[in-house]
Amino acid sequence: MSIESATMAIATARQQPVRERFWTFKRFTVPIIVVVVLAALLIWLSSIQLDSIEERTLNWTYITLRVGEHLSLTVVASALVALLAIPTGILLSRTRSRALRGTILGIANVGQATPAVGVVILLAIVWQTGYTTALVALVIYAFLPVLRNTMIGLQQVDANVRESARGMGMTPNQVLLRIELPLAQPVILAGLRTSLVFCVGVATIATFINAGGLGDMIVNGLKLQRFPVLIVGAVLVACIALLIDWIAGLAEDLLKPKGI
Amino acid sequence: MSESTDTAITAIARKTDGASIVLDHVTKVYAGQDAPAVEEFSMTVDPGELIMFVGPSGCGKTTTMKMVNRIIEPTSGSISIDGRDVLSLDPNELRRHIGYVIQQIGLFPHMTIAENIGVVPKLLGWTKQRTAERIDELLQTVQLDPGVFANRYPKQLSGGQQQRVGVARALAADPPVMLMDEPFGATDPITREKLQAEFLRLQASIGKSIIFVTHDFDEAIKLGDRIAVLSERSHIEQFDTPANILAEPANAYVSSFIGKGAALKRLALLPVADAGLGAASGAGPLTVDIGDSLRDALDALVLNGSPAIDVVSDGRVVGSLDMDRISQALGAELPSTRTGA
Amino acid sequence: MSEPAHDAPDPLNDEYGGISVTTFDLDGLLRFWSRRWDDILELVAQHLAVVALSLIIAMIVGIGIGLLVWNKPVPRSVTIAAAGVALTIPSLALLALITPIFGLGWTPTVISLVFYSLLPIVRNTVVGLREVSPAIMESARGMGMSPTRVLFTIQLPIAWPIILTGVRVAAQLTIGIAAIAAYVAGPGLGQLIFQGLSSLGSKNALNFALTGTVGVIILALVVDGLFVLITRYSTSRGLRV
Repeated sequence: MSIESATMAIATARQQPVRERFWTFKRFTVPIIVVVVLAALLIWLSSIQLDSIEERTLNWTYITLRVGEHLSLTVVASALVALLAIPTGILLSRTRSRALRGTILGIANVGQATPAVGVVILLAIVWQTGYTTALVALVIYAFLPVLRNTMIGLQQVDANVRESARGMGMTPNQVLLRIELPLAQPVILAGLRTSLVFCVGVATIATFINAGGLGDMIVNGLKLQRFPVLIVGAVLVACIALLIDWIAGLAEDLLKPKGI
Repeated sequence: MSESTDTAITAIARKTDGASIVLDHVTKVYAGQDAPAVEEFSMTVDPGELIMFVGPSGCGKTTTMKMVNRIIEPTSGSISIDGRDVLSLDPNELRRHIGYVIQQIGLFPHMTIAENIGVVPKLLGWTKQRTAERIDELLQTVQLDPGVFANRYPKQLSGGQQQRVGVARALAADPPVMLMDEPFGATDPITREKLQAEFLRLQASIGKSIIFVTHDFDEAIKLGDRIAVLSERSHIEQFDTPANILAEPANAYVSSFIGKGAALKRLALLPVADAGLGAASGAGPLTVDIGDSLRDALDALVLNGSPAIDVVSDGRVVGSLDMDRISQALGAELPSTRTGA
Repeated sequence: MSEPAHDAPDPLNDEYGGISVTTFDLDGLLRFWSRRWDDILELVAQHLAVVALSLIIAMIVGIGIGLLVWNKPVPRSVTIAAAGVALTIPSLALLALITPIFGLGWTPTVISLVFYSLLPIVRNTVVGLREVSPAIMESARGMGMSPTRVLFTIQLPIAWPIILTGVRVAAQLTIGIAAIAAYVAGPGLGQLIFQGLSSLGSKNALNFALTGTVGVIILALVVDGLFVLITRYSTSRGLRV
């Protein structure tokens, strides 16, 4: 998944034409759709009869609690991932050792092939259930795309650009900070965006290990055969995922260095 | 398609020795642009003629050529091949009977050389046997050993070889008309000379009606039966044989194309046999062969440092040439005033 | 806090800095496997089958859509955006949304997997078709091929390696998502993982979950390797790097 996003990120980053107006109508398509869907959901809910079980779940307190848990997991995990994976990626891209890079790539391949649900449940069995475990699982799972994108992003900086920077007398650290990182930034941000979306997804699974979140609604709805609960939970989580992806995309576009 | 289209195309296809091409007031205007790319272009190409379109980039020469096979559709005017209006025919059918060679060649990378050449015959429904024979024949004609090259892939060939396959591919269905857009442009000068020589040989034996676009005036002189010197909007500045253009350029624009050394270029077109030969002079060591051009003779003369030079044929000296005789061959009448080249 | 599970007296310290962890018992795992080998293999086969079925459907639909929209800018960007939306939605949510209509088991699993596979396949089809060089397109049209013929005899073969890469990415995606689908009674190795969850606290919980997870990893790597081979052998020799 992250090879795709990395490649697409590089491709999109290189082909974007200079936009004249940033805030066009098209930019708001996703939020508008989300608002419409949520409105439809509300209308539907108010039109049907809810039984006592459903009432316990489909009220503002319960929902806000779950959304809060879900968002907290997502945001904290992503922040941790950014703090951990980007510096690691920078360090790793600096090694000359082919063996090290090869091993990392090998691990990355295995990591990409690992199912998120497996990581979550294994961690719960080996350690404990609960919020912290879910957080750790999220960080582990989202680590690789960001690491990979950081490495790829730095690697694809044109060697000529690097060379002329050194030729001008910049120290390696200056080259890193002023040239390589800004140029690699679109790819790195694309990786962060992917990991954010992953986190929302895996946070949904966190319900299986008592970590809360909107997954609770989905699972309860399924177990108790109460479809309204199920649908509200699923739609909400989908909307959150879309909105977070949209915001991340916005940040990507806003922070893109001009001239690329 | 319709009955008449089929008949028209069959008739055109049969003229393997070349068909006439007539362009009548052909104009092309692109949407959103004021000036036409091609304006009122009219020309007749006789069967078997090799016509060169020469001009700077952007003058519209390629656009004009591409309207003949309707890769670009004309805005107005008419184009006919062998007297039949091209614009009323089915474009796909039409193109199967027009050879088309572009600068970047465009060989299909996923097909072998044989498959590439066989594309149009296959489209026309030729039998496998006939196609295979034709492929062998064509590869030999462009001097590529069929045994070696037929089953290779384009990426295994050098640029010059790919170019030759491109020409062979265009000839596959033996079309009466060929359109060539800087076909030798992407090769190095040495390969290009070889390709040009081969092409001349080919055209001498098969005689198709060809429109050949180039920005290289020397190539135009070397290859063309007639040259159309084009300026903006594909305006024809002069349309005549190479010798006539060199001898009497119509205006300063054409002169600028010729550049300096027009006389020498004209001499390159004239064989030694065109000049009257004098008695053997015995000046040596250099001689010139009767099959060489007068420019070769002049070249040898200068190198020899003697007033005359011997002409040999089959190893025997048959006469000699000097400056006077060479000048006379040029027609002697140099225009008294000429604006700078 | 859950109790650490012991199979046998364990010399290994099971307290790491105050955090209690379950220890890993290799003997137990091997015994577990030898007893359940048949079941495990059957689940592997199921997992492969559901992924293969979904990929085939996704290829037919996805490549078909790609062939229809590749040269039409508006439908193209709408389609790719729509397929991208599908990929953003968490898999559990999508699976759950489908169950009220389609029930449990194979059907919702296949439908979700197809959904998720569409983006990589459609996007790669479109990109692959568009990347055929203009010179090749022009010489093909110039020779008298109709646009449809050019699409099928020139563009598609040349774009094939790129399309196949999209299918490969989709395969990786769906092998992972199929594991979650076990929650709605979907087939495959995910069932082992969820059994590990439901038997949390018992001695075999770890074995179940580990087998399921490792099984999925190995399956994904093997399938990926297979794809490398398939791509190589189905690509024209003239195109191979």
